[in-house]
Amino acid sequence: MTRSAKKSAQVSSDTPAPRKPGASREATLNHALDGRGTPRMALSDSRALAREAYERLELPSWRRSGFWTTSLESLDLDAQQTREHEPDSARPAILADAPCAGVLVQRDASVVHVELSDELAERGVIFCSLDDAARDHQQLFERYYLRRLLIDRHKLEAASAAFWSGGAFLYVPPDLHVSEPFQIVYEISEGLTAQYAHTLAIGDRGSDIRLREYAISGETEGQSLHARQFELYLEDNARCRLAQLTDWNGGAVHDVSTSVVEVARDAYCHWLPALLGGALVHHHDEIVVAGPGGDMAFRGLFFSERDEHLDVFAVDLHETGPSGGDVHWRGAATGQSRASFEGLIKINEGAQQSHTYLQFHSMLLSREAELDAIPSVLVGADDVSASHGGTVGELDELLIFYMQSRGLSRPQAVRVIVEGFFEPLIVQLDDPHLEALIRERIGNKLHAAAEDIERYALAR
Amino acid sequence: MAELQIRNLHVRTDDREILRGVDLTVRTGELHALLGPNGSGKSTLANTIMGHPSYEVTEGQILLDGEELNELEPHERAKLGLFLAFQYPVAVPGVSVANFLRMAINAQRDEPIKVKEFGVQLDRAVNLLDVDRAFTSRHLNDGFSGGEKKRAEILQMAMLGPQIAVLDETDSGLDVDALRTVAEGVAKLHAEQGIGALIITHYQRILDYVKPEFVHVMLDGRVVLNGGPELVQRIEREGYDPIREEVGASV
Repeated sequence: MTRSAKKSAQVSSDTPAPRKPGASREATLNHALDGRGTPRMALSDSRALAREAYERLELPSWRRSGFWTTSLESLDLDAQQTREHEPDSARPAILADAPCAGVLVQRDASVVHVELSDELAERGVIFCSLDDAARDHQQLFERYYLRRLLIDRHKLEAASAAFWSGGAFLYVPPDLHVSEPFQIVYEISEGLTAQYAHTLAIGDRGSDIRLREYAISGETEGQSLHARQFELYLEDNARCRLAQLTDWNGGAVHDVSTSVVEVARDAYCHWLPALLGGALVHHHDEIVVAGPGGDMAFRGLFFSERDEHLDVFAVDLHETGPSGGDVHWRGAATGQSRASFEGLIKINEGAQQSHTYLQFHSMLLSREAELDAIPSVLVGADDVSASHGGTVGELDELLIFYMQSRGLSRPQAVRVIVEGFFEPLIVQLDDPHLEALIRERIGNKLHAAAEDIERYALAR
Repeated sequence: MAELQIRNLHVRTDDREILRGVDLTVRTGELHALLGPNGSGKSTLANTIMGHPSYEVTEGQILLDGEELNELEPHERAKLGLFLAFQYPVAVPGVSVANFLRMAINAQRDEPIKVKEFGVQLDRAVNLLDVDRAFTSRHLNDGFSGGEKKRAEILQMAMLGPQIAVLDETDSGLDVDALRTVAEGVAKLHAEQGIGALIITHYQRILDYVKPEFVHVMLDGRVVLNGGPELVQRIEREGYDPIREEVGASV
């Protein structure tokens, strides 16, 4: 199912029309941010603009070609509360034993824990709440804040830009290499909570960092809302390994978030979102190669279960060439869950010698689950290569028999298959703590879905 | 000492009867060869012994030490000491040979095998099969050549130490060197660990290196002739047609 760039280039005449804010219902594809950002202005002004958009817009629905709808219409915004918390000196359990260059934890609406070693602070690293950064590092803040993000495409984006509190800010000065990861944790502590979150991270020229962002909760009851904006800017020659883990642990969390990563001249980013659950998750993740020589590896994995609804829009945008890209996602679905992965490669006019590839592999583990993949390629330059491919998989009975013949029980064999399916991505994290965490969580989900998986296997 | 007994085994798949009353007994320490032309039911027998879900036993019994296996899951048969070397080994993506072996060994034990003990066993098996230790870090059968896959099968057999192994056309698709390594590996496991083996083949090449004491000929879903090594030479010389004619009257 690989298509050549030339063939797909025909699609590029179909430039998205400017959208009326809030009118998200359309029969076409999602729209990339496509380089757009919000003009530089004072924080109070952008909040006011976002607030105005929030008042004006309806709760969003994303509709596509009649067979897919992600609708937030069932979200009761009025029932959501913003909850404040006192500082907490303890690290969250999810970071137990994890190496940390710094830790920042936001519980509901409050940043409750910030750690940064004196040594890194002395060398110029800034790691603090975004509130503090807006006040104490105003120049840096205003230079980058919302540079690649919009605030009025839909009501929840506007809400996030208008109402975020706490937030996380990371600045790593030129040429500083930090091998241990900076860890940012967003927690929702109970149901009926609105969490508006914002991460702004900058790797200055020649810096080399690892960044982890967790969006998690315990088991909660009642709807909650997590609306987050994430922006990472990697200046010339900077490198970053970024991983984001989302796991709302079966809670009725509605997570509508946008992440954008900008890769400047000769910079590199390895980015892996791991989406491990949430009642309704709509993530728009966009990586922009903005400078010549920029390169990136964009990996992602998801596992949906029960009646979860997951909608991922992953964009690989090349603004200049030469540039490189490699997008590789894998997803599995159990229960009655529905998951959609839409992947877009876009190579702008003039971005000559851009080379990129998009692949998506899926594995369906239940008769009632649904998994869609929609890859597209828009190419505006002629000296480029861009293509996509993928596989659709189910449990291979012959493989199960093979493993059973070696003494593994059927559930063990299924687990090996699904873990093996994700393993090519997990090992790339090069982070034993996070790798173990993701393997364990996927293992637990498989265990919980074992009967369902078995029924599906027998029915085929 | 274990005894695998096949009694009057009838097997069907997709409405077609493939085995029509097979009788065969293999004991620990014995080397058996099962010969027969394509389509005679050899692979069906191998898969049925191991409990492949696509094959339905309609009559007869598979017994290990008198205990009927017919209703047991494949992994339960493995735990009782049966092993099947696949004709077409299946790739296990994302799982290294070593990790898979550890899982398989631990599946048969109450306590997980100690790292050191596993390492010693693995070294021994790796030497036996003349493969590089680096081979065991590769994902099992994923991108393996035909020869590598067959070596990996015998490597697993060496590590799991079954009572009785069924080798389903382990010699097919191998060049002479690979064939010799694999066959000598089997012979050595037989000599050293006393493994009983049923070697299924439709060439006779493997039998240049492994010398079976018992030879059986399968035609049209039945074992029609039992004998010793002399049967191998006869088939080499005459093919199956004279045997078919001979037994035709009695079938």
